[in-house]
Amino acid sequence: SVLAATCVKKQELLQELFSELCACLSPPSSSSKPASLSEELKLAVIQALHTLMHSAYGDVILSLYQPSTLPLLGFAVSLLLGLAEQEKAKEIKVSALKCLQVLVLQCDCQGHRHLDEDEAQQCGDLFASFLPGISITLSRVITGDIKQGHKTTVAAIRLFYLIVGLVMADAQLARIPKTKEKLPVEQSRISELMVHRGPDWSKSTAEKLSLLLRKMVEVTSVHPHWKVRLELVELVHHLLRNCSQSLVDSFSHLLKALVGLVNDENSEVRSRCNEVLQGIAEQGIVAQNRALADVLSENLHSLATALPRLMSSQDDTGKGSTLSLLLGYLKLLGPKINIVLNSVSHLHRLSKALMQVLELDVTDVKIVEDRRWGCEGACGAAGSLQHGVQKGRGQKKYFRFFTEEKVFQLLQQVCRVLGYYGNLYLLVDHFLGLYGESGAYRKQAAMVLNELIVGAAGVGVDVLQEREVSPNMDDLKGSIVTILDEYTDQANWYLVTSIDAEEIGPPPAGQPSGLAARPGGVRGSVLLPPPEPHVTARAMNSNIWQICIQLEGVGCFAAVLGKEFRLLLLSALYPVLEKAGDNTLLIRETALGTLVDMCEACSYDSLQGLINENSDYLVNGISLSLRQPAHQPRASQVLDTMLRHSDASLLPLVEDVIQDVLSALDQSHHDQASTFLRVLHSVMTALVRWFGSSCGREHRHGQAAERPSGTLSQGRPVVTRQEVERFFLDYVRQKRMAEGDLPDAGDEVADEVPPLAQPEPNSPDTEGETPLPSHAQLAKGVMERCIHLLSDGDLRVRLRVLDVLELCVTALQPHGNHLLPMAHRVWPALVTRLISDDPLAVLRAFKVLCTLAQKCGDFLRQRFSKDVLPKLTSSLLSQAPASARAGPVYSHTLAFKLQLAVLQGLGSLCEELDMGESDLNKVADACLIYLSAKQPVKLQEAAQSVFLHLMHVDPDSTWLLLNEVCCPHRYEPPHVSLRPVRLGGMGRQRNE
Amino acid sequence: MALPPPDPQFVLRGTSAAVHTLHFSCGGQEPDVPVLFSGSENGFVHVWNLKTHRVDTTLDGHGRKSVYCVETLGGKNRLLSQGRDQRICLWDLAEGRTSVTDSVFTENVGFCRCSLLKVAQGRWLMAMAAKALEEVQVLELPSKTSVCTLKPEVGAKLGMPMCLKLWQLSCGSQPLLLAGYEDGSVVFWNLSMGKALSRLVCHQEPVMSLDFDSEKAKGISGSSEKVLSIWSLNEQQNLQVYKTHTLVNAGISDIAIRPDQKILATAGWDHRIRIFGWKKLKPLAVLDYHSATVHCVSFSDHKNPRERLLAAGSKDHRISIWSIYTQT
Repeated sequence: SVLAATCVKKQELLQELFSELCACLSPPSSSSKPASLSEELKLAVIQALHTLMHSAYGDVILSLYQPSTLPLLGFAVSLLLGLAEQEKAKEIKVSALKCLQVLVLQCDCQGHRHLDEDEAQQCGDLFASFLPGISITLSRVITGDIKQGHKTTVAAIRLFYLIVGLVMADAQLARIPKTKEKLPVEQSRISELMVHRGPDWSKSTAEKLSLLLRKMVEVTSVHPHWKVRLELVELVHHLLRNCSQSLVDSFSHLLKALVGLVNDENSEVRSRCNEVLQGIAEQGIVAQNRALADVLSENLHSLATALPRLMSSQDDTGKGSTLSLLLGYLKLLGPKINIVLNSVSHLHRLSKALMQVLELDVTDVKIVEDRRWGCEGACGAAGSLQHGVQKGRGQKKYFRFFTEEKVFQLLQQVCRVLGYYGNLYLLVDHFLGLYGESGAYRKQAAMVLNELIVGAAGVGVDVLQEREVSPNMDDLKGSIVTILDEYTDQANWYLVTSIDAEEIGPPPAGQPSGLAARPGGVRGSVLLPPPEPHVTARAMNSNIWQICIQLEGVGCFAAVLGKEFRLLLLSALYPVLEKAGDNTLLIRETALGTLVDMCEACSYDSLQGLINENSDYLVNGISLSLRQPAHQPRASQVLDTMLRHSDASLLPLVEDVIQDVLSALDQSHHDQASTFLRVLHSVMTALVRWFGSSCGREHRHGQAAERPSGTLSQGRPVVTRQEVERFFLDYVRQKRMAEGDLPDAGDEVADEVPPLAQPEPNSPDTEGETPLPSHAQLAKGVMERCIHLLSDGDLRVRLRVLDVLELCVTALQPHGNHLLPMAHRVWPALVTRLISDDPLAVLRAFKVLCTLAQKCGDFLRQRFSKDVLPKLTSSLLSQAPASARAGPVYSHTLAFKLQLAVLQGLGSLCEELDMGESDLNKVADACLIYLSAKQPVKLQEAAQSVFLHLMHVDPDSTWLLLNEVCCPHRYEPPHVSLRPVRLGGMGRQRNE
Repeated sequence: MALPPPDPQFVLRGTSAAVHTLHFSCGGQEPDVPVLFSGSENGFVHVWNLKTHRVDTTLDGHGRKSVYCVETLGGKNRLLSQGRDQRICLWDLAEGRTSVTDSVFTENVGFCRCSLLKVAQGRWLMAMAAKALEEVQVLELPSKTSVCTLKPEVGAKLGMPMCLKLWQLSCGSQPLLLAGYEDGSVVFWNLSMGKALSRLVCHQEPVMSLDFDSEKAKGISGSSEKVLSIWSLNEQQNLQVYKTHTLVNAGISDIAIRPDQKILATAGWDHRIRIFGWKKLKPLAVLDYHSATVHCVSFSDHKNPRERLLAAGSKDHRISIWSIYTQT
């Protein structure tokens, strides 16, 4: 403790004190263990030694490092080493190591005089003789029991690299003369102890050190304490900086450790590691040092070879570290990567490893099954879609060899770094080769290609040093065009992804019976049971994924090229839109994601903008594809997608091509009609949607009129008082109007009149001779085709036609002058459907009829009462006993649904068509039996709604009729409840 | 079994009117974008960029009257257009300009396309139907000086000139003119003498179009009837019928021989484009795309024969671009 305050200036004093202190620690003579002393003493002595070294004055201390004092120094070193290794107490160990550190003049603390080169050299020479002892002991300490505590290990590591760094420093070794200098004779004994650090010595030492380092690295890189790992990073850093030539053999281990620690869980280690790597890369140690590059590429090669095996055997963390190792090598190699890539075997190994690792799991059958059932009902999704896909960035993929997202991200980075540094042409060429080589590699190769391009553009790639030359846009574009061509090649783009009959070809005949039994087939397209699946689900799944990956690739390319991609839209947009209309959910969503990417890249503000601005390209594609029967379904998909995602402003642009569709339909064979019907359906849906404001008003009104009756009948079997009251109030009003007694504006009765009682305004017939707007013209054109197709042999086609027809009627509604003649022409065919067809078709046709009635009003009255009504009533009558007898299962049958639909529609139909009395009677008669309690409840409700409507048309006779039947049944309650209302409300009715 | 006829490589839409005339300019070097000029019924000349397949510029210089002839003078920067407003306009399109530099008032009410011939650097001859009914006038461009006026003999009753083709045997030799007339005859004129050398009645109906191959000294003409007539010019400079070819459907509105003289294309009233081998007039293909009369056909002047295109403009407002027989 006194020593700390003093300053030792005298050389002799220092030596004396030093030897004295050492003697304190030294064992009594013979035994090699310094065991006999107490721990406190040892600690005190070590600290004293430590202090002594610190308090020794500048030059004086150097006197200790003369060859002549070598034995003394050696003694001290071995003593301290012994303490560090064998002592139990952590404190002693640590302080011994610290002291040793001071002893070799590498103390951390400030205030030491910096050694100049010669002095350092001299010390280096001196310490070289201790190196074997120190390094072996230290490595033993480092690799020793973990229980010794991290501090000891850290101190040992530090000491190790400091001393090794000093002795093996490149700068010092370079200055060592070839021959050992002759020392004065009197020192010859000592000089025997001195080591000459010639090339031979350094080589053999490096070999030995390499062994030690390897062992140390292995142990410490997985050391649980982060400080140890941090110190390891420092070790690598120090050695790489100072001994990059002398210790070249050890570098593979050192770098491996360093690279592996890049993804350490501790952020400090990570950042320091990154710093060090950055430093290494920046100094160009690797780039300039051929030997190091060789080491790295050798490591890379062996790692690539082992990668598939490791990936299949390790757990996810292990895989992660393996891959980060791979990534680290690539990053370190930096621009030198091309040396590796130019070697065929390297490239081969690497790519094969990637191919195997990236293998996808394609056993999930759900992807194949997950598809859009028909195209109806999806129009509402168009709006929400923009938000849905926004930044979905690729579908989650399932890999065979790993599940963790992090692993995939690492692989992505690997590919990107390759693309960033590597020769793009070479890589693209190679992976395209793999892509074409075998179906097994195709998906992976596509994935790699996508990432390569992303990396080459420098997007989302994390690198240590800038590349020398960034590739110019033309090269990038050239590569992209090549890949794009390959992707969208027919053989790679049109893969079998479904066994959907609709896509494969015309369905086999003789299916209607099967269809009728299918309960879900009322709405939505009915899919036939799949024919012999000659493509396995696995293969289809694989195909789906391939398409998705390719689509994602297109999105990447767009993002990379930015506005430049606009030029490629000519070829790329059409295929993508084609897929956006695909039936497989996954493909569709991926394609939509790609479209969003394209939008962003080409700076269109919306999907709609993208489609509208480039509609000429699309229209061209569609029109050309329509000419070939095999491509027609796809062309219709594209058109479908376009319509779905755009608005009315698109119409002038696609009008042309819709005409093409119509003419293609005219020329095509009947078996292709279903394809076209899909398009027609989407066209009409779009038209109704776009121009709905002009033609939908009344339509909505009509629905509004239906709704209250619907809710009413569903809610309770009893007519509510309010309803009845309203009805009668309305009745009074109408009566007054009929008598010429028009109510004033302020009439309170009029205020209460609900909208449902308002008379249906007639379709405006004021259209005159004004030319038909284009959308109506199209609707008319479509309707005309529908007439021909109504009698198609295939049930599915007929059903679809009826759907389209309904939409046509809605679209044409404001143009009565055109609608009525069309209705006239449609009528015969429609009647046939209504009277003698499959129940499914009848059902649909009846719906069309209702719509038509809404639009055409009394135009249909005559025809309806003559052609359809008798048949309807008679079928209702004949079906009634069956439904009355039937059990609960009956409500799932088609017959029931038909009855229900007819009953539900008939009422409003009568009202809208303003039927004559005899017809009303017929209707009433037919419906009356459905009021029976034996009938299923739903039918009863529907029948009630009929009567409600009938009341609107002709309240008196309806009332009379109902009264005649009412008494004995359970149906009394409604009428009982009616009566007081009637009495209280209006006396007039009562009088009758 | 022959291959089925191909689809158009591309279809250009957006003229919003019937297309009456087409002219390619694709001879430029790399940075130069190949373009196609189209003249349509609504009086616009559209400049189509053949890389983006979109209209680069729209020229409006004929008062919304149908444009029925467009030609380039040299590169794609100098354009000539002829419209039903009885004017022939010369355009300067360099550096994005779209101005009419000069115009010629033809005073002719017909729809006979003019014909251009380059006689020297920066000098062209242009033959056009003149004001007088049966006459053809030849002007020198850009000076607009009249070179000669070709009047048929009195009593020849040729009717109006319907189509013209200026040509010369080799550069520097005297310019010659072939003219098809309303009465169905083709007349061979010597410009320097201003006199008809030969007259051949090839058709019963007006000659709608003709093209001439000066190397083989053979020409072809089409009319509103079902016959294509091939005639040749012998050493005595007399026209004689070489061959006739009967078509299925009547009416040919335009004929073009490909610059390499291997095939020719006809624009038919039956909505079809027909391709023939020029040597023996072997029918090669019927290109069926348009849904209305095809008004014009034109071959491109690409330097690389592989890239050569055929364009057809039709009444259905579309221009179809075909890549056909590029290998032969």
